Amino acid sequence: MKQTILTFITQVNPDRVSELRTLLDVMGSNVEQNPYIPYLDLKLLHFSSLVLTDDDVYGAYLVFENNFDGELDQYLDDLYAHAAEGLHLIYSCCLDYPAGSATEKTQLLSYLRAHIVHPNAYHIGNVGRSAVRTQQEDALRDGFEDFLDEVVAQGDVGPASSIRKKVQTLVRSQPAFAWAANVEPRQTPLEYAVPRLKFAIAAVMALLLSPILIPLAIVWIVMLRWTETHEPAPPELDVKEHIKELVKREDRTHIVQNHMCSITTVKPGLFRRATLCGVLWLINLLARTFFDKGELSGIPSIHFAHWSMIDNGRRLLFVSNFDGSWENYLDDFIDKAAFGLTAVWTNTSGFPKTSWLVGEGARDGSRFKAYARASMTYTNVWYSAYTQSTVQTIDNNSRIREDLFRTLDVTAARDWVRRF
Amino acid sequence: MAELKAEDMQDIQGFVISGYAHLPCVSYLLLGISDPPSARGWLARLVNEVTTSEGKELISCLNVALTHRGLRRMGLDEETLDTFSRPFVEGMATQHRSRILGDGTENGPTNWDWGGNLTSEPAKPDETKAVDILLLLFGRDETTLDKLVNEHRARLAQCGLTLVLPLGAGRQPDIHEHFGFADGMGQPAIEGTIQTRDAAPRNVIKTGEILLGYVNDYGKLADSPTLRADLDPQDVLHDQPPVDPTEQARPSGASPPVMRDLGRNGTYLVFRQLAQHVAKFCHYLDEATRTLDEELDSTASDRLAAKFVGRWQNGAPLVLSPDTDDPALSKEDDFGYRDSDAHGFKCPIGSHVRRSNPRDSIGPDAAKALATANRHRILRRGRSYGVRPEDRRVDDGVPRGLHFLCLNADIERQFEFVQQTWINNPVFGGLDGEVDPLVGNLTKGDEIFTVQADPLRTRVHNLERFVTVKGGAYFFLPSLRALRYLASL
Repeated sequence: MKQTILTFITQVNPDRVSELRTLLDVMGSNVEQNPYIPYLDLKLLHFSSLVLTDDDVYGAYLVFENNFDGELDQYLDDLYAHAAEGLHLIYSCCLDYPAGSATEKTQLLSYLRAHIVHPNAYHIGNVGRSAVRTQQEDALRDGFEDFLDEVVAQGDVGPASSIRKKVQTLVRSQPAFAWAANVEPRQTPLEYAVPRLKFAIAAVMALLLSPILIPLAIVWIVMLRWTETHEPAPPELDVKEHIKELVKREDRTHIVQNHMCSITTVKPGLFRRATLCGVLWLINLLARTFFDKGELSGIPSIHFAHWSMIDNGRRLLFVSNFDGSWENYLDDFIDKAAFGLTAVWTNTSGFPKTSWLVGEGARDGSRFKAYARASMTYTNVWYSAYTQSTVQTIDNNSRIREDLFRTLDVTAARDWVRRF
Repeated sequence: MAELKAEDMQDIQGFVISGYAHLPCVSYLLLGISDPPSARGWLARLVNEVTTSEGKELISCLNVALTHRGLRRMGLDEETLDTFSRPFVEGMATQHRSRILGDGTENGPTNWDWGGNLTSEPAKPDETKAVDILLLLFGRDETTLDKLVNEHRARLAQCGLTLVLPLGAGRQPDIHEHFGFADGMGQPAIEGTIQTRDAAPRNVIKTGEILLGYVNDYGKLADSPTLRADLDPQDVLHDQPPVDPTEQARPSGASPPVMRDLGRNGTYLVFRQLAQHVAKFCHYLDEATRTLDEELDSTASDRLAAKFVGRWQNGAPLVLSPDTDDPALSKEDDFGYRDSDAHGFKCPIGSHVRRSNPRDSIGPDAAKALATANRHRILRRGRSYGVRPEDRRVDDGVPRGLHFLCLNADIERQFEFVQQTWINNPVFGGLDGEVDPLVGNLTKGDEIFTVQADPLRTRVHNLERFVTVKGGAYFFLPSLRALRYLASL
């Protein structure tokens, strides 16, 4: 099952920025019941956000983030069917919007299509699990937990194999759970093979072209080191007031996830732009192959994260839907993925001093956090289709269902029961 | 790292190095400043009475800390006030903090008896509850303490100070808190101090994790409030050291103004008054552990309480002694969870001690997990208050609980992180929809606690709020130099 990650990025009419901001803040204050986009009806959607950013140089942008199941056409039809009026009101505040009314479907959707930004790199925590499946498996697990409470209360637990039998009988005997027995695969063989094939081709190409690539790499390294040693030191940032605004929307009660949207300026010159482009390409290659089992470089808490170079590569947009607190997320980044994230953001202005692309940088914890906070924009609207689930619990729930009727040996059966 | 210098030990308040276990009687006076010039005069005199870290055995001890509001009223300039860390500047009771600390509904700052200093929220602070100064007084017995308290209370009026609230703790018969568990176990030890003498290496933390102006676990100097040198004409304070001692000075245009380090040898002190509902706790345990024949089962009830806590009543960690309260292990603190109890069969994953410090259990490998967890340690300095109930199962209406005090250099990365990412996190360590059974923020309705077991876990339901927050504030516990500077304003 394919998942698609993209953003629609449009320029906002300067005269209507405050009007749009008001509209978005109304949406954001009660996202599930907002009158513009009925998120709960969009069954393909995992996470979505609307961010209005105003920049002195680039002007006001509206970033509409969508992480959904399946292909774009189907999603756009669904979006239009449920939210035409709201989209029309929102995009009426944007430049070059052609539709005169919400009924002009072709104009509205072609406007959206024209402003699609596909990420340079992205990561998905629970590959191949649709939003609907995620919700169903969560309910299934809750049902099993309640059932197992009864098993315990009756004082008749028995060995793991007999516990499994009891749960299997429950599923077979209850029509409400019948769907659970037919497990669709997370990915088709093709979906699994294509990224690996791409990786193999890239590796072979790199080998074949090594006589050219190695001298190029040496030139690149010299240029990199020269650049690093001649760049001005990053400024000390005072982000207290900015953080005060950001945290008003963070750590909401009854939501175990948080949202982060960051826009940074790529350092001037083609060298940094090209380096960033290369680094993101490499990250994407790895994210499609090695990091498709729930963790991105050891970080187990990212549902959907994506990097997009925008404005002809002059700015970098990073958007993430993650579990837990921002502090914890950033600590994870610093402790487990400082290498990769330094390689990305060292190409942007204000990042802590870096050596050899991946050294130091984010390891300067408090300066890196100040930089990350300074780069963040205020998320006006943010929706999650499953507010109580982490990447790890979603995966655990999937494994409970996938292994329910599988033949398991004693150890595997014991491990299955431990999933509760 | 080398031992801290004697000069620094004279500068650091004694409360950092010692919890004064030899002084069983304590009283905390919460003060407000009504007349700043007189208050500065009071402080100038008080500095000479403040207990330092030199390690003398005294029959009474005195320490002092200030809120951000208190520093402002003492006369510290706005530019300097702004260099303190964000949580301290904003105070404990902002809306966002209430969410992450779990201070909603009954726990909410509007219900507090004191604290809730709101310096940055639109709502007007309740002046009667706001606190400027915390005076910590300790004595070896009631007579000594009473004399000390009376002496200090008598001074207040003519020194431009008001008494917001006296928080007397009373003498506790032993180290057990009101739910019956030995408290104060599992402390980190500050590198360079006497605390490391008996500490396991896994529990030693960098000096800069507690004391401002020293190198922290990231190898950087802990963020410290600073002020312009011209504001300190009498040279009371140290110069601010280079931001990064490992970094060579870069050539730059105009050299920045020389700054003085106001924070060095000081720390941030977190204070929360936690009321404990002992009868409710005992009843819950009784009812949750009735046998199939509806009989009470005191062994099962004690066992469930130990599962909540993660240690037995006398302190033995469940992970080392899962079945009995082994007295030989009552002080044991050199252990992890990963190798011996990855699934929580001995010490439940959601138990209070495992949440408060998951040690080596969370992350890809043990060493990394421990290193990461150790970036979130706090030095606890709490003590129980109120008398023990005569019958633990009868609600006698007498207030009792814990004055939770802790020290840390970075409130956000240490105290608040523990509270948010571990204690109140419904998905901590792979759990799904439960918080700390003792101090977690119960919001759901049917609150559960999972006791992992082989082959199948047990869940107990409908947990009640056994602990309620009654007050709290973030304080700065300055060095003696910094106190002298404040008095000189």
